[in-house]
Amino acid sequence: MLIQGDFYRCGSASSHPATLESAGHSFRIQAQDGSSSSGNLSDIQVSERLGNVERKLTLANGDLFATRDNDAVDSLFSARATGSGFIHTLESHIGWAAIALVVAVTVAISFFRWGVPWISTTVAHALPQETNEFISRGTLEFLDDHFFDESELDQVEKDRIRERFQSSLLALEEESNQINYKIHFRNWVIDEKAIPNAFALPAGDIILTDKFVQLAQHQDEIDAVLLHEMAHVVHRHSLESVVSGGLVAAIIMIITGDNSAIVDVGLGVGSLLISSNYSRENEIEADLYAFQKMLDAGIDPNAFSEILNRMNAYMEDFDGEETSNENADEAEYAEDNSEPKSNILDYLSSHPSTQLRAEQARRYSECFKRSENPCEPAIE
Amino acid sequence: MTALKFEGDGWEYFKIWIVNILLTIVTLGLYYPWAKVRNLRYFYANSTLEGKNFEYHATGKQLFIGYLIAMILLIAYVTIEQFSVVGSLIVLLIFALGYPWIVWRSLKFNARMTSFSNVRFSFSGGCGAAYVNFLLLPAVFFISIYAGPVLAAVVIPMLTDSGTEFGALYILAAVLIGCILLVVAFFMYAFLKKRISTYIVKGYQYGQGEFDTNLETSSFALILLKTIAISFGIGVIGMLLIGVVSMGTTGLSGIVSMQEGLENSSEDMDAYAGTILAMILPVYVLMLFGFLVVSAYAKSRQRAYIYSNSLLDEKIAFESTLRARSLAWVMISNLFLIVLTLGLATPWAKVRLTRLYLENTQVSAEQSFDEYVTQKLEEQSSLGEQIGDAFDVDMDFGI
Repeated sequence: MLIQGDFYRCGSASSHPATLESAGHSFRIQAQDGSSSSGNLSDIQVSERLGNVERKLTLANGDLFATRDNDAVDSLFSARATGSGFIHTLESHIGWAAIALVVAVTVAISFFRWGVPWISTTVAHALPQETNEFISRGTLEFLDDHFFDESELDQVEKDRIRERFQSSLLALEEESNQINYKIHFRNWVIDEKAIPNAFALPAGDIILTDKFVQLAQHQDEIDAVLLHEMAHVVHRHSLESVVSGGLVAAIIMIITGDNSAIVDVGLGVGSLLISSNYSRENEIEADLYAFQKMLDAGIDPNAFSEILNRMNAYMEDFDGEETSNENADEAEYAEDNSEPKSNILDYLSSHPSTQLRAEQARRYSECFKRSENPCEPAIE
Repeated sequence: MTALKFEGDGWEYFKIWIVNILLTIVTLGLYYPWAKVRNLRYFYANSTLEGKNFEYHATGKQLFIGYLIAMILLIAYVTIEQFSVVGSLIVLLIFALGYPWIVWRSLKFNARMTSFSNVRFSFSGGCGAAYVNFLLLPAVFFISIYAGPVLAAVVIPMLTDSGTEFGALYILAAVLIGCILLVVAFFMYAFLKKRISTYIVKGYQYGQGEFDTNLETSSFALILLKTIAISFGIGVIGMLLIGVVSMGTTGLSGIVSMQEGLENSSEDMDAYAGTILAMILPVYVLMLFGFLVVSAYAKSRQRAYIYSNSLLDEKIAFESTLRARSLAWVMISNLFLIVLTLGLATPWAKVRLTRLYLENTQVSAEQSFDEYVTQKLEEQSSLGEQIGDAFDVDMDFGI
């Protein structure tokens, strides 16, 4: 086989037209200025094929034979020697490229749908409890400064709820000795309207609003909600969303090379708690945890749906039309992080729908009445 | 003089580009260094002067370690950014301190990995000079450009409030100092352009050959002055245009109804959001076009000036025939192409822009390159270059 090209001495810019002739496993290069070189084909280092750009064949002594006869080079050397057979095949056949496009999009979507949550959960649980304390630092102060007033509840009532939490609920959770739970009472008022709500910071601070405590008619209802909040803490849902947020931002940055994604991931956890919400899966997980612990403690799980319904009714009295807004109901806090809206309560969430949660509570309640524990008929 | 040629083809590059993206996604980013090599090789190897081409020699394997470290740094940064504002500021400060080193290492690495006609380039500029040019002088520039407005915003109100007898005199002095600072900032910028261009051109070597350049601050200042004048011109014309168009169509009724909206309930405001958008959008588009035109002007003029004043070994000369209007046209039409095809036309856009640059680059190639020989140098690590890449450090200094 005969290939036309140019011959360069090692590291020199001057070149001469030359031919490369191969016979068996050996080759001979003959340049027009009379110089020549020969050796074994296996000693030649061949650059990867890339479109139709000039191919560089580097000899063992550093001399170079450059040619544009890509097809001849490909037939002379095996794909392994040129190291790029597969990629060049993809690049030169648009059909393969189209298939690769579909595969890549599928993989990318699957990764975001299943890979990111899995990694987030794994990472969140692998991190020490100190991480939770670190990301909670300053959050309560921030919420106090911007949203909450001091609680106006009776001290006796507060002490009673705390006492009950310490004596019976903490005993239900094996991990409780690692987490420093604390119950805070706050008054949350928006537009002269007291908001019933409860939520947990990752470090174990659980905040109950005055209106929530007032609406609760039975200690069981408060316990149900406290258990639900404990579930968010135990399952590290906040940390999960921090990790997945960072992961998604980093991936977007790596793929697109766009650093402005950093700007969108929020400034610290204070804004994270305000702007983001637990996922639907997180809420279901927290509900099931609460129901199970209620069975363990001998509390009727129906208490949970009763307090949900009462909070729902209370909020509907204020703004009936707003609770029909499906999306806004989902978050514990408003998406709009300037001011929490009134129709945003975690417990009134339509995702999972309030009926579904009530149904789940009812099934657990039946178990409770039949004294069945563990309870099987969980909704698939 | 002979012009460089670009022999790449949009369709051929599209296939390379799309496969690069796909493999990068499928490997969760791990393929990126190899993708980068194929991209760069395609553009380098298709750039030719009298039949001889450039070549990019780095391998994916060579870039990989640096890439991994850069990714770890990037993820660490994103994580810290989530947890603490103070932490992310500290990281940014560290990054600012490391920035000149990153630029310097990138210049060295990229020069070493580039060859023309089998002879490698190299970069011999110093690290200390990089700190002066990429950190110290830019810091002075930013201080001088921000000191004036700060003076106006903080010091003058303070003096007015104090109500001293000499208040007016102080204000006059403050305004004067502010103006002087702006003039200083203006010359500082021109000086910075000259310093950086000189540092880069003089740092480059081709084999044993040395590049030299003789640039003046005053020439950069003149280009800058014209650039500012053009910006003002475009700004004034643009504002007039927007005023006429928006008043003539939706604008006037929009403004009236907006006022009504404010007087009525806030519910009505939503209905007028569209009107507001209709007014903002042309301003935004015009600003973008204005920016492209102005930067095309500045870039083509600076390029022409730097090229015509640079020599390789005092005999091989360069010339840039790139015109501002053709650069602006390609930039604006590329933007349209990319937006209309949701990014799929990016390969064609890149090929067009590269072709424009290369075909407007002239070299006095009557002088033979035959005498040039690659110089032996120790191998370079790709770390700095990869960090710069990961954090999007702009290595395009107008050359």
